[in-house]
Amino acid sequence: MDAVVKFTSQSQGRDRIFRAAQYACALSKYLLRNNSDRKDLVAKLKSLETNMSAGRKLFRLGNAINSIEAAKRTMQLSDRVLCLCLTVANINRALYFICDNVLWARSVGLIRDIDKERWSLNASRCYFLSLVMNLTRDVYVVLQLMMQRARDKHFRQKMDQHISECPEVAEVVIPQLDAFLFLLLESLKSHPAVALDTLKNICDLFIPLDRLGIYQSNAGVVGFCGLISSLIGIVTLVQPKLRIKP
Amino acid sequence: MDSWVRFTAQSQAKERVIRAAQYACTLLGYTLQKGGAAAELRKTISQLEAHMSLTRKLLRLGNSVEALEAAKRAIHLSDSVLRLCLTISHLNRAMYFACDNVVWAGKTGLISKLDQHKWSQRSFRYYLFALILNLTRDVYELRLLMECEARYRAAKSPPSPYPGTTLADDHLSSPVPPATVALPVMSVWLRRQLHLLVTVLYSNPPLLLDLLKNSCDIFIPLDRLGIYPTGSGFVGACGLASSVLSILTMVHPWLKLKP
Repeated sequence: MDAVVKFTSQSQGRDRIFRAAQYACALSKYLLRNNSDRKDLVAKLKSLETNMSAGRKLFRLGNAINSIEAAKRTMQLSDRVLCLCLTVANINRALYFICDNVLWARSVGLIRDIDKERWSLNASRCYFLSLVMNLTRDVYVVLQLMMQRARDKHFRQKMDQHISECPEVAEVVIPQLDAFLFLLLESLKSHPAVALDTLKNICDLFIPLDRLGIYQSNAGVVGFCGLISSLIGIVTLVQPKLRIKP
Repeated sequence: MDSWVRFTAQSQAKERVIRAAQYACTLLGYTLQKGGAAAELRKTISQLEAHMSLTRKLLRLGNSVEALEAAKRAIHLSDSVLRLCLTISHLNRAMYFACDNVVWAGKTGLISKLDQHKWSQRSFRYYLFALILNLTRDVYELRLLMECEARYRAAKSPPSPYPGTTLADDHLSSPVPPATVALPVMSVWLRRQLHLLVTVLYSNPPLLLDLLKNSCDIFIPLDRLGIYPTGSGFVGACGLASSVLSILTMVHPWLKLKP
């Protein structure tokens, strides 16, 4: 109970719970869409999802400043690739929040004559760019880990053992692929924070991909991916060890 | 900017800022109505206020648990009056949040056919009880501190030749009819009590802030329940003042009254 209170006292904690609930509603709505005797429930889910989305937009009003502060911090990183990826990602997130704030002002009636669709697309584009930069950073970190592992003698012995153990898997045709996959999986297993962050970014990517029309999936896929990424977000907040650093 | 990031990391801080904005909208709506502004502007402001109110209800969804945890902590206090006041206040707050969650569910359409007015009134009643208990606690602490201060002053001032005599007794020792003595005696006593009050409040800013906050807050349920209707302008001003005071106690944690 105490841990729950502590978690919900953080703004990020509350926001992630609401995000998880919002995407769970979207997913349930999609799954029940053809069910004619559940039309009432579907209407309630739609109303709940809209309310949560609107509430989260208001709750997010100051977040651009958080992202700018994060960008200022990541500009001072020593590793140049990380510095570039994370700073660009944070700046794009700040731009996304600013577009989101403008959309909120439009939805509430404070600003009247702006093109809602254009601003919404801009917000999705900024979000998409920030996710791409985050994924680039994940790939870079994973490659570094893999290179580190490959150099480790103890690990090479393990890999040779693995390849010789399962001759039917390590097809004579593609032994390198098997070795590569083994190296990749071992690196990810030993650094769960990186694995979770990669998975979260991949899941999140489907949302703007669908919105921008680059890869049109359906509302169910978007809902499912959003739910998974929100749950991973909650887990990393509860267990700070599982959060990728920087 | 760093302090803003740290401040908004607490969800309660964001909720207070939204509350301040909500009551500012209430106040603004009242002034616009009095000033005869355009109906469309008034409609926008009232819609904004409703949106903020609903969002705050969403944000408050888990607060019953928090209030129950606070009540569990308050049970272990040593002072019995504080223990009673704070525990019951937190329990009332938990009930207020529970009713508020039901109102939210009704407003978003999750529970259809809900008597929103009845549940809203219920939630305001619990809120009123919680505020009354908080004010009782404030008055009790004030009384204790005033007695402390009075004893300290009595110990500090030089001892009089007749032990136990006060200023009033000195007046009585002279041959004056008792009726004409009573009023100046009362005013002297009153002035002394007021001076004690001001000294105590000035040297205890957390108590002063809490007292002001609860006094401002109490007008909101009093107006909504129809017990003492003051109008939306006054309610807006009180709500805004108490939200600002609350934000102040969050920015400077030493200003928060403990326990």
